[in-house]
Amino acid sequence: MAKSRPYLWSFGFLFVAMTLSVVIGSVLIPLSTLGRMFLHHISSVGQTDWPAAYETIVFQVRLPHMVLVLLTGAGLGGSGAAYQGLFRNPLADPYLIGVASGAGLGAVIAMALRWPVDVLGFFTIPAFAFFGALLTVMVVYVLAQVNRTLPTTTLILAGVAVSSFTTAATSFLLLASANELYRALSWLLGGGTIGGWSPVGAMLPYILVGLGYLITTGHQLNVLQFGDEQAHQLGIPVERVKRLILVAATLTTAAAVAFSGLIGFIGLIVPHMVRIVYGPDYRHLVPLSIIGGGVALLLADAVARSILAPQTLPVGIITALAGAPFFLWILRTAKSNIHW
Amino acid sequence: MPKLFSRFFLVFLISIITVGCAQTAQSDANNADPITVIDGAGETITLDGPAQRVVSLIPSNTEILFAVGAGEQVVGRDSFSDFPAAALDIPDIGGGFGELDTETILLAEPDLILASEITPLDQVEALKTLGLTVYTLNDPVDFEGLFENIRTVATLVGRNTEAETLIASLSTRLEAVNIAIAPLSYKPIVFYELDGTDPNAPWTAGGGTFVDKVIATAGGFNLGSDLNGAYAQISIEEIIQVNPDVILLGDAVWGGVTPEIVTARAGWDGLKAVQAQQIFPFDDNLVSRPGPRLIDGVEEMARLLHPGVLE
Repeated sequence: MAKSRPYLWSFGFLFVAMTLSVVIGSVLIPLSTLGRMFLHHISSVGQTDWPAAYETIVFQVRLPHMVLVLLTGAGLGGSGAAYQGLFRNPLADPYLIGVASGAGLGAVIAMALRWPVDVLGFFTIPAFAFFGALLTVMVVYVLAQVNRTLPTTTLILAGVAVSSFTTAATSFLLLASANELYRALSWLLGGGTIGGWSPVGAMLPYILVGLGYLITTGHQLNVLQFGDEQAHQLGIPVERVKRLILVAATLTTAAAVAFSGLIGFIGLIVPHMVRIVYGPDYRHLVPLSIIGGGVALLLADAVARSILAPQTLPVGIITALAGAPFFLWILRTAKSNIHW
Repeated sequence: MPKLFSRFFLVFLISIITVGCAQTAQSDANNADPITVIDGAGETITLDGPAQRVVSLIPSNTEILFAVGAGEQVVGRDSFSDFPAAALDIPDIGGGFGELDTETILLAEPDLILASEITPLDQVEALKTLGLTVYTLNDPVDFEGLFENIRTVATLVGRNTEAETLIASLSTRLEAVNIAIAPLSYKPIVFYELDGTDPNAPWTAGGGTFVDKVIATAGGFNLGSDLNGAYAQISIEEIIQVNPDVILLGDAVWGGVTPEIVTARAGWDGLKAVQAQQIFPFDDNLVSRPGPRLIDGVEEMARLLHPGVLE
């Protein structure tokens, strides 16, 4: 189906998902009204016969939220594809080497301590989450180095070990701060509370730089699939490329989870779905995973916001509940086309 | 992609100007005296007149609003607000999974949002960014503080007379309890269970909390008063050592814990309170929500701890 013109299809899906994201919400705004609202704001034609609240809802709540979710999904999808290529492992996801557990610890620390709120305002939790993620990955990186190389095996092992430690620390803090338990759990399952355009502005540089770099690594990732030694003989500066991809993917993921909490499955499943439909060429796998990640998260977020209105379920629950069976279904119907 | 973003930013800019113009038009409609107060978070809040469309973010605020007769002025309430029954008919604006439903709040077009000390600051900030007026009501530390809060809310919604009547009535009832309890020399040791999921280390209220105060006012002694914090865990061994006279089950309503369940717990059967069957379920909402029902809680507890003393 999408073997030819994958980008056309992908952008098509993206447009549909973005529209859905703006249309769906706990307040029912008819499609025609939405259309007229956008038309009015772009060109000032038409009468404004909708309540002022609708304007605030669409342009200050839904639109920035849609962009935030899009960036998060894109970041997770792209870095997921990069991690899978880097580790040559179909089970690799952006959280493998401690980004998730580090971000979780950072966020829970921020929620447990009230004092930083005066200094950083309501960017405290994302800032702590972001730096928690980066610090954790740095620790893993330092632990995993063997002489001056970075073997993927030690990276994974160090990642698992450090993740266990940070998760334990997080659990302890969760128990100790009973007042924030609800909120902390909600964040850990994938629910951000900051609205408006400021989180988008804060995330944008990291996502753009990170994903921008990762898109260019397609060829190098392809060659890396042959193994470190082979890749080296084929002219790839293996250690340098590994480090750069790691840094870019980690920055992207850290920025993504800092504002949206820990959302699983997007980074793992979207690259696989793209691989099943289009094949394992990383030059296209990475960009398509970026778009696919955006689409997947936008859809999951729309479900999370509407299924139990006015409550908002953490998105991570929807991605987990829906992602696994969906992936199994795709796997079944396309078994013969899989190449890792 | 960049084209899309620039388009959206343009839309955003234009809509900000439009929304801003719309809001200035609305504020001239009210001709009542403006109200300027400083809220619990130190922010200066200005209203053009008594708030007519209030959204409450916490059950205690909802209860205070209804108690001062402003029930008709409430246009949104959080998921946990369930008292009085009329509150359930008011649109639910979320808060269940820790996140407020901003869209429904906006649709209700509130002129005042009544938050509390425990409302997450970034949510308060997010609501303010959308141009809404948010008043943070801090938790009271004693009954005088509670009465002050009632007065404050009444000022915001223009119900000062009703508030004074309410406060007078509450003070009288509180005074009656104090007078009845004061001459008593017997002060039972009370273990107030907040959460008994782990019977070897149940949770209770520490010293300085309102539960602690209510127990003291009702003529009892809170077993957990040496502990720190609103939620403090205590070991069953300490409970056995102190051997409370009365056990109150604050987790009876939300957790379904009954006196039979407590009697069946290992190690609890030797307690004085268990053997004398002095285990009582207690509606935790009466002591955990800093609203007018705290006085109900005091009376209820006084009746349990000192039967027959209050008429």
